[in-house]
Amino acid sequence: MIVCVAVVGHQNNPLYIQSFTEEDDALKLHHIVHCSLDVVDERVNNPKKSGPTLNETFLGLLYPTENYKVYGYLTNTKVKFILVTTDLDVRDADVRNFFRSFHAAYVDAVSNPFHVPGKKITSKTFANRVSTIVKSFGLSSAG
Amino acid sequence: MAPADPRSGDAIFANVERVNAELFTLTYGATVRQLLTDLEEVEEVNKQLDQMGYNIGIRLIDEFLAKSNVARCVDFKETAEMIAKVGFKMFLGVTATVTNWDANDTCCSIMLEDNPLVDFVELPDTCQGLYYCNILSGVIRGALEMVSMKTEVTWLRDVLRGDDAYEMQVKLLKQVPEEYPYKDDE
Repeated sequence: MIVCVAVVGHQNNPLYIQSFTEEDDALKLHHIVHCSLDVVDERVNNPKKSGPTLNETFLGLLYPTENYKVYGYLTNTKVKFILVTTDLDVRDADVRNFFRSFHAAYVDAVSNPFHVPGKKITSKTFANRVSTIVKSFGLSSAG
Repeated sequence: MAPADPRSGDAIFANVERVNAELFTLTYGATVRQLLTDLEEVEEVNKQLDQMGYNIGIRLIDEFLAKSNVARCVDFKETAEMIAKVGFKMFLGVTATVTNWDANDTCCSIMLEDNPLVDFVELPDTCQGLYYCNILSGVIRGALEMVSMKTEVTWLRDVLRGDDAYEMQVKLLKQVPEEYPYKDDE
C-alpha cells in the first residue's frame, strides 16, 4: 500500500505532499520524504558512468527503512517525485508504471494556466487523479 | 461560373492548416492569465475577452464564407445550425448542437460537447466569476453582426463553473437591413 506521495520542486521546495494513511502520522511520512531528498541529491551528483542510466528519470529504491520503502523519480526539469510504500516486495515495473502515470498527471496539472510554476499544486483534479493512481497501484500485477 | 457546392465542416477542417491543440490551449490560457494580471478585475477580463472575440469574429466571418461556400441562410434557425455544424467544426474541430428554441425562433442555445479551450484548466477560487471561454461568444456576436444580425450571446452553463455542459445562449435582437452608406449624388 502506498502511504505517501510527494512532488518536490527543483529547489527542494515541496509542491505537493499527500499521505494516504488513517493514522495521524503525516509528520513522520513528511520526515521520510524530506530525508529522501538527500539521497536524490546524492544520486544526481554522483551519477553512474554507464550510458543508459544517464538520462533515466526513474531513480529506483532510494532507501529502505524498517517499515517503508522509498522510491524516487526525477524529471528533466529537476522536479522530484517521491513514493513511500509499506509493501516490502514491490515490483520495479509497477513502480515505473506508477511514476509514469503520476508524471502525466503532474504535467497536466502544471499546464493549467492558473497554476504558478514553483508554487504549490492546489488543483483538485490533480488530487483526485493522484488518489486514483495510488489506489490502482499494484492491482495489475496482483490480479 | 456556378457557385461551388457548400462544403461540410469536416471537409474544410481536413483541408485547413492547423496548429497543435496543446499549443492553442496553452496560448489561450496564457492570454487569459495575462489579462487577469493586467486588468485585475474579473468583470473587466470578461469584457475584454468578449471584445477580443468580437474583433476576431468580424474578420473570421469572411474566411468562413469564403471557405465554406455556404449560400445565404433563409432564417436565423438555419444560421444557428450553420454556426454549430460548420463554423465550430471548421475552426475548432468540434461539433456543437443547437437546442432550446423559443417560440419566436429568435433565441436558442448552442451546446458544446467538447471544448478545446479548457483542457487542463481549473478555475481558482479567486476567479469564480470568470467566463473563461467568453472569447467564443464574442466571436459569434462579431461574426453575426457582419452579416447584419445583432445578437446577444451569453454563457448559460460552463463546466469550469461546475455545470455539466457548455451552453451559450444566442439571442437575435434585430436584423439590420443592409445599408449603403453612399448617397446617390456622391
